[in-house]
Amino acid sequence: MADVRYYDVRSVRGEVTQIDIDNGVVESAGASFFDKTVIRVLGPRGWGILTRDHVDIDDRRELDGLVAAAARLAAVTKDAISLADAPRGVLAVPPLGEDPRDVDLEEKTRLLAGIEAAARIEGVANTRARYTEGIDAVRFRDSSENEYSFEAVRSGFSVLAIASKNGVMQMGSERDHITTGFNLRDKQGLGRKAGEVAVSLLDAKLPKGGAQRAILDPELAGVFTHEAVGHASEGDLVREGASVLGGKIGEEIGCRGLVIVDDPSLHEFGFIPVDAEGVAVQRTEIIRDGILRSFLHNRETLAAVGDGIPGHARAEHGAPPIVRMSNTFIENGDASYDELLAECRDGILLIGSRGGQVDPGRGIFQFNAEYGYIVRGGETTDMVRDVSLSGEILSTLHNITLIGDDRRMSPGYCGKGGQSVPVSDGAPHLLLEGAVIGGRGE
Amino acid sequence: MIGDDLIARILREGERRADEVEVFYARGTSVSAEIKKGILGTAEESEAWSMAIRTVRDGRIGSSSTGDPDRWKECLEAALASGRLATPQQWGGFPKPAEMAGTASSSDPDIVVAIEDAAGMVDALLAGAAEHPVEVVGGSADLARSYIAVANTNGVTYGMDRTVAAVSLEAIREQSTGYEFDASPFRADIDARSVGEEAAALAARSLGGSEVATGRYDVVLSPVAAASILGQVILPALSGRNVKAGRSFLADKVGEQVFDETLSVYDDPFAPGLGSTAWDAEGTPTRRLVFVEQGVLRRFAYDLKTGYRYGEGSTGSAVRSGGDTPGIGFHNLFIDGPRVKEPGDERAVWIHDVVGAHTANPFSGDFSVEISNPFWIEGGDLVEPIRTAMFAGNAFEMLRAIGGLGNDARHVGRLTIPSIRLNNQQIIGK
Repeated sequence: MADVRYYDVRSVRGEVTQIDIDNGVVESAGASFFDKTVIRVLGPRGWGILTRDHVDIDDRRELDGLVAAAARLAAVTKDAISLADAPRGVLAVPPLGEDPRDVDLEEKTRLLAGIEAAARIEGVANTRARYTEGIDAVRFRDSSENEYSFEAVRSGFSVLAIASKNGVMQMGSERDHITTGFNLRDKQGLGRKAGEVAVSLLDAKLPKGGAQRAILDPELAGVFTHEAVGHASEGDLVREGASVLGGKIGEEIGCRGLVIVDDPSLHEFGFIPVDAEGVAVQRTEIIRDGILRSFLHNRETLAAVGDGIPGHARAEHGAPPIVRMSNTFIENGDASYDELLAECRDGILLIGSRGGQVDPGRGIFQFNAEYGYIVRGGETTDMVRDVSLSGEILSTLHNITLIGDDRRMSPGYCGKGGQSVPVSDGAPHLLLEGAVIGGRGE
Repeated sequence: MIGDDLIARILREGERRADEVEVFYARGTSVSAEIKKGILGTAEESEAWSMAIRTVRDGRIGSSSTGDPDRWKECLEAALASGRLATPQQWGGFPKPAEMAGTASSSDPDIVVAIEDAAGMVDALLAGAAEHPVEVVGGSADLARSYIAVANTNGVTYGMDRTVAAVSLEAIREQSTGYEFDASPFRADIDARSVGEEAAALAARSLGGSEVATGRYDVVLSPVAAASILGQVILPALSGRNVKAGRSFLADKVGEQVFDETLSVYDDPFAPGLGSTAWDAEGTPTRRLVFVEQGVLRRFAYDLKTGYRYGEGSTGSAVRSGGDTPGIGFHNLFIDGPRVKEPGDERAVWIHDVVGAHTANPFSGDFSVEISNPFWIEGGDLVEPIRTAMFAGNAFEMLRAIGGLGNDARHVGRLTIPSIRLNNQQIIGK
């Protein structure tokens, strides 16, 4: 096939177990199955990509037919793409503490019900808990004779509590997901915490909007890292001209001492043993000492943009690989939490995350805290709710005035291009000067 | 084997081990031509197949799904196993064959799922964008055709075709971005050139905005911004499941004036749209449902499970995608009302879209979001761009008194919504 410069095929055959308990009622508990294959062909210019259910990739004739069909698609493309050479290699998948497959569905349901029940404290009107387990068998093969297979096991849950009083409704939610085994035992504490947060928010105030000093807790600071820097450093956005970080390698975009890393090799929730193009994964320092050092790349964006490290291609099953984050974090500084509070003096402490979003071309991001406290004279005082923060990518990192020494990672899912992949992000506590708080309090 | 024969076989096999069995089946083909850096970069074609099985035995509902026809037995076993763990509930049976209340068309015979056609739509998008001095950073044209069917052991076997044509384009000029999109079951509804032109115009015209000081302003939400905020907050509050579980702000308010007296919210499954259908995802005949009539809350939406559990009956509001279990949703939801006054006549902050709508609190209705492509609007014209700001408010409170609905209603997914003027809202400047 003369028009095929390269092809690869990646199949994921998997089983998803989900349990949904709503106010003590087991709404559903069971398993589903999928088997998706994506065939990519690089034609004379761009990519042709096919998605199919249930392909036998060992059947040479079937595979040849699919490669030919993808090549016909590639023929309509105009973008001249080349692929950079990249190191190969597959890391060992972390050993499983307890294999979720060894625990029967009945026990999982009982354990989840325990977490959900723990959230049902005085003042809570509704509780809901969900368990999600995924067992993926991944196989990859390309036209350069690279081939690998591995198994990914993920297990975790989320719990939501809604408190209600005099027509006011507030929520508390907690989640925990891991790639290293079964993750439902001894977690009632998180259920209880969701309930407690929901109840205490009933009496929380609405914060006043405007610029002020803010301390972000490690979970929220992780989301800040992900939204403010992570997405804009993705090589595909840089290549397409959709990131304000394009052309800024070597420039000082943050404060001294700031180190921001994406590391798919860490055994956190965003771990991958090898990327979705068969490229070896490695720690990538996006920012070192405040200076922009590296973009996150796949083979295509490395060839087009340079200045970065490949191994960041990821794909949801049944979708083509795109450049993604994995485990993204700010390295520890040396300030203690008490020093941050004292330095903040008057401002706001923001805790937990309801998610965020970024427009990387415009360089503007928004993210939302679960709750917070007004800081007065270096002490936390009144609780506040429904508080979000926005900022500009190119200036916000200069506004970090102190970096804590207590980094913690939080698991979650990140959406981009219609695909959702497991990630983690984290940071130590951070102190931000002039943070724009979007509250509607007077 | 992949199709009606298999469905019949699963129903037969399942009926021996459960009181009732249901199969929901979907297959489809789609193509997508994606723009990278202003030219056609990637061509994709996808074929998908999925089947979801539900079993009911003594009020215990089990479910499973598979994308692999060879695993149907495993899938049936998994559904039965899951039913053994589910909490038993009131159950009155899957639907029996019934007369439909109307007809719905959601498929266009003229749509050909061919990459060449999608590539032609990309050319039109790019030609539209070329009207303004911007760079195109991304976008796509998608064409899809699918067949979905629901069958159960009470004799229901319904099947329908669906088509979708969709386009989107993202443009940038310096640090000013613009994004536009459109989707419809009907190819003729999609004007790719004007979508490209509008995205480029947004990027070009938003450049060099002025600052806005923190304070209270009248705002006009474009249909896109209104859909983002209301979709996150108002729609979940109309779901009967959330109402009965104590998760809806609107629970206990039926018969009350909850919104401005000009506002109505209704689902019309027979109107042409992405969600048009004469039967819902469980085979219940659909009907027109008025949730809010001139500001007064009239009813909530139910599927079979929630309807039976609380003695409300299904409103034909079950929806689902692929192998997911059914949930309560809407087919073609309209937010509508008389057009008394043009929302943009008097000076206001016009908001094209928002960043971070998904972080709104769906239970309390509180939100604070970053705004995209804001302008000062006056006499119906966007007169001057605003650089950036946040918008904070409460979605339930702000609909209690609105300052007008626009004549610019458009489809945003399954929602049809006009621009909405809201007076005296909180804007946070930088």
